[in-house]
Amino acid sequence: MDSIYYQVIEALIFSSDEPLNSADIIKAIKGLDGEDIKITPDEIEETVDILNKKYEEESKLSFRISKIANGFLFSTRPEYAKYLGFLSSEKSKRRLSQAALETLAIIAYKQPITKPELETIRGVNSDYILNTLLEKNLITISGRAETIGRPLLYGTTDEFLKYFGLYKLSDLPKPREIDEIMKDEDFLDQKRKIMMNLIEDDVQNEIKESTENNASE
Amino acid sequence: MYKIKLDQFEGPLDLLLFFIKRDELNIYDIPISRITKEFLEYVNLIKMLDLEIAGDFILMASTLMHIKVKMLLPREVDEKGEQIDPRTDLIQALLEYKKYKEVAEEMGYFETDQRKVSFRGNFSEDEKIAPPEYDILLKNVTLFDLAKAFKKAIQDLKPEVVHEIKKINITIDEQIQFILDRLEKDKELHFLSIVDGMREKIRIVITFVALLELTKMGQIGIKISDNFNDFILYKLEVANG
Repeated sequence: MDSIYYQVIEALIFSSDEPLNSADIIKAIKGLDGEDIKITPDEIEETVDILNKKYEEESKLSFRISKIANGFLFSTRPEYAKYLGFLSSEKSKRRLSQAALETLAIIAYKQPITKPELETIRGVNSDYILNTLLEKNLITISGRAETIGRPLLYGTTDEFLKYFGLYKLSDLPKPREIDEIMKDEDFLDQKRKIMMNLIEDDVQNEIKESTENNASE
Repeated sequence: MYKIKLDQFEGPLDLLLFFIKRDELNIYDIPISRITKEFLEYVNLIKMLDLEIAGDFILMASTLMHIKVKMLLPREVDEKGEQIDPRTDLIQALLEYKKYKEVAEEMGYFETDQRKVSFRGNFSEDEKIAPPEYDILLKNVTLFDLAKAFKKAIQDLKPEVVHEIKKINITIDEQIQFILDRLEKDKELHFLSIVDGMREKIRIVITFVALLELTKMGQIGIKISDNFNDFILYKLEVANG
């Protein structure tokens, strides 16, 4: 692939406000410059890596290209989150509840899955949570099972990948094998991580509140 | 008894895992009797608070008691001649649930990281109307959205109300004559049999007024019928004076 396409790929991704997949990038390039141009999805991924490296190391830019939801999308660096959050309400939306995360995890790994299968694993009725997730467009109805009653099947969406910052479904954390779960040594570590996340949120909220108070005074 | 914050547990399996972790129990060798006792204490507590949620917990409580009973009986034996532990299914369910609970936790960190990132396109809607291309028309629309919209449209559909005004030429005098004519033939008449066959409400009303008028004039009498929703008219011999 000619290095002139670095800029083309960069421009194409920059112009999109939804994750742009490599198939579309290839379509645009081949559509204009001819079908015989040699360009592969892998090369596009490499290009994105090169661009990101350049942004980070040479130019020290405040943004990068995220590999997300089967495509590429410009995103800000996490360091600037609190300043962005101050101006935009987009990120101050509520987090997902424990029940929602749990349900999403099961659907993500077991998809397509029916409601009864999901409820068997969770041990609780899941009508409400399924509806909430459908409304948020994190899951979708992917069809019907061929079993008795033809129950609906649920699966995750691209929005799900975007929400969790995943490129592909296979980027989900691997569930630990049962033996590993039993050892449970990292449980405390996980707990600490949760605590840290919460503290971080608190600090951010405090900063936000104090700046708002200052503004109003 | 110590208090447990209720919303800490997503369900009965979560609660069991909590007991196991807190008391450092071996998940493969759960002391069923002890856990059942603690579980029931908790169920009694939430039964007072939220019956709907309690349902799932009561189901688990009965499963635990079922296992407890089975533990007391001689073990069943499978095809290979090995003893079946009555707790096997419960342990499997717990491990399966635990697996996803852990993944959910990790996904929670992903969520935290991702919330710190903003994407391009974080601006308000472009005023210019987008060209109606097929794939744009169906952007982010799922079968669920369509079904939801359709259901709402059907539910919100208001039935069209049509008023029709029909003039019915009928007078009290006519109906007085009508009743008197009928009473010429039969000595006694059920009210329902008079109005039988009348289609319009107004005709029945006028007929009723007519018979009240006749009663006032002393031409007919009224007595109750065996049928409580009806009454009987009879002609009075008017002493014409």
